[in-house]
Amino acid sequence: MSRRRVAAIFRRVAAEIRRDRPSLALLFIAPILITGLVTFILRDSQAPQVTAVVVNTAGVRGQLVGTALGAALQHGGVTVSDVADEAAARAAIANSGATIGIVIGTDGAPVSPLTITVITNGLDPAGEAAQVATVQRAVLSAAGNASGTALPAILHTTLYGTPSDDPISTFAPAIVGFFAYFFVYILTGVSFLRERTGGTLERLMATPVTRGEVVLGYTLGFGLFATIQVAVLILWALGSLHVPALGPLPAFSVGLGVAVNGSPLLAFLVVVLLAVGAVSLGIFLSTFARTELQVIQFIPIVLAPQFLLSGVLFPVSTLPSILQPLVAIMPLNYAVDGLRQVFIRGADLGVAALQLDLIVLAVVAAFFATIAALTIRRDVV
Amino acid sequence: MAPQAVPDAPGGNVPPAIRASGLVKTFGTLRAVDDVTFELAPGRIYGLLGPNGSGKTTLIRLLAGLTLPTAGWAEVLGTRMPSRQNLERIGYMTQADGVYTALTVAENLRFFGAVFGVDGDEPAAAALAVVDLADRRDSIVGTLSGGQRRRLSLACALIHRPPVLFLDEPTVGVDPLLRVEFWAHFRTLADAGTTIVVSSHVMDEADRCDELLFVRSGRLTARGTGREIRARAGTTDLEQAFLRLGGDVAVTR
Repeated sequence: MSRRRVAAIFRRVAAEIRRDRPSLALLFIAPILITGLVTFILRDSQAPQVTAVVVNTAGVRGQLVGTALGAALQHGGVTVSDVADEAAARAAIANSGATIGIVIGTDGAPVSPLTITVITNGLDPAGEAAQVATVQRAVLSAAGNASGTALPAILHTTLYGTPSDDPISTFAPAIVGFFAYFFVYILTGVSFLRERTGGTLERLMATPVTRGEVVLGYTLGFGLFATIQVAVLILWALGSLHVPALGPLPAFSVGLGVAVNGSPLLAFLVVVLLAVGAVSLGIFLSTFARTELQVIQFIPIVLAPQFLLSGVLFPVSTLPSILQPLVAIMPLNYAVDGLRQVFIRGADLGVAALQLDLIVLAVVAAFFATIAALTIRRDVV
Repeated sequence: MAPQAVPDAPGGNVPPAIRASGLVKTFGTLRAVDDVTFELAPGRIYGLLGPNGSGKTTLIRLLAGLTLPTAGWAEVLGTRMPSRQNLERIGYMTQADGVYTALTVAENLRFFGAVFGVDGDEPAAAALAVVDLADRRDSIVGTLSGGQRRRLSLACALIHRPPVLFLDEPTVGVDPLLRVEFWAHFRTLADAGTTIVVSSHVMDEADRCDELLFVRSGRLTARGTGREIRARAGTTDLEQAFLRLGGDVAVTR
């Protein structure tokens, strides 16, 4: 291993990326735009506008419940009106802007308990689930008022962070890890493919350079930019720079202001290890691609499963058991977990869970670096 | 640019710069190089002539140790190939330009210089002067013409002053005037002791070589100076000679 040859490859790779303005923009601006948008959506989504129509088919008993429920719903900001029967309620949802119908009835027998049937239009399951939840809260509240004794309240507390935490504080670590992985893979894969197809790899192999020096030089070159990217992303996620109102411009803040309980440097270490693995993965997979388009085509195979199975969107613990072995081998999974350990739990290097994450990421990076090096001197016909 | 010194063999009996013995390379059922044996003396220009797909590039890659032979062996300057150490004494101009288009001319030269362990601006300046690109040293390679890239590619192969040069179709896309200068320079290098193997399918370049090796379907079909080959084939036209000695398919021009 010659230090000057590694340095030469590092300088060359860095110079190439520096000149590639669109890729630099991809590296820095795209993740900021997307994390900003996701944060905005998660934090500032509007409360659902609920307009309810209530039908009572259960006589006097139903009348009492209907009144109490109506009052509770109105207290929760719901517009409530009464209609004559279920058909009228369905028509109101279909035609005149009601979002939810509530039918108070019985299952026939005179002393049987009352039933409450909630009707929604079924076009937006997620949004409607939120409306049904609104009705459930109103029912609980009405029952409490009717019985004259306050129902016990359920309080939720957590070991790390707070349960009412901004949703972005669990999402931000995942998305920082994912972007680092995604962009480093794409840029390395395409760049190394050019090296193979442009004849420069052939020429490089006709020099005293070793495969290990090539992988190390690439890792340093792309690692430098991945490091800057991660630093910018972490600053963006954690920072919150308030800009005061100036003339006609309203006050605003720059940065997502995610609370972090651990050391940002540890978070940084986690992502850099992940990115180093991504450089080698890009080199390795470029062996199987003939064109740049094919590097992009590996995304659904290589990156999409990681995105789905690493707790970025769906909690890992609720994934089907048949997928759990796959979860266990996803490098991104360990990075996301490591980042959450640092961000939310405030873990330091003494925490076993974080140690495991770091060790797995280091082993994965070393493994891919080895197979990447082995694929370099492949015979090109 | 004088090449690195090659030690002379004792007793004045100069050992060959390049040796091939029973070299075979197969890809599946294709015998790209088929039992090639030769010895090439130092300080001479050898023309490797043959149609497209005849195995010239594979033969050069075997000699440079970039691919492993299926059978036989190759030796450069007394060292069995492949040998990473020995690559320091070999210059290889690939058929593709093999230069980094996002970098400047000077950056490409500095990079290849660094991987060969060559420092400083002087070697780069000397290589640029040879290919007449000194005025474009700070241009991004992507903005150069095809011929200019070809020249840079040659400069990158010369940067470490190798005593053995493999040039795979070096004059493709190079204008006639510069082609003359290229050949003049090859001659200067050979006179200073560099062994040069030039592959080409352009017959009018063949007469500039000291010796010709005709390759067809991976086999060495004839070897000799242009004059010898013409005499043997009974013709004054090299192309005709190639057809008579080498095979039955027209040589592409």
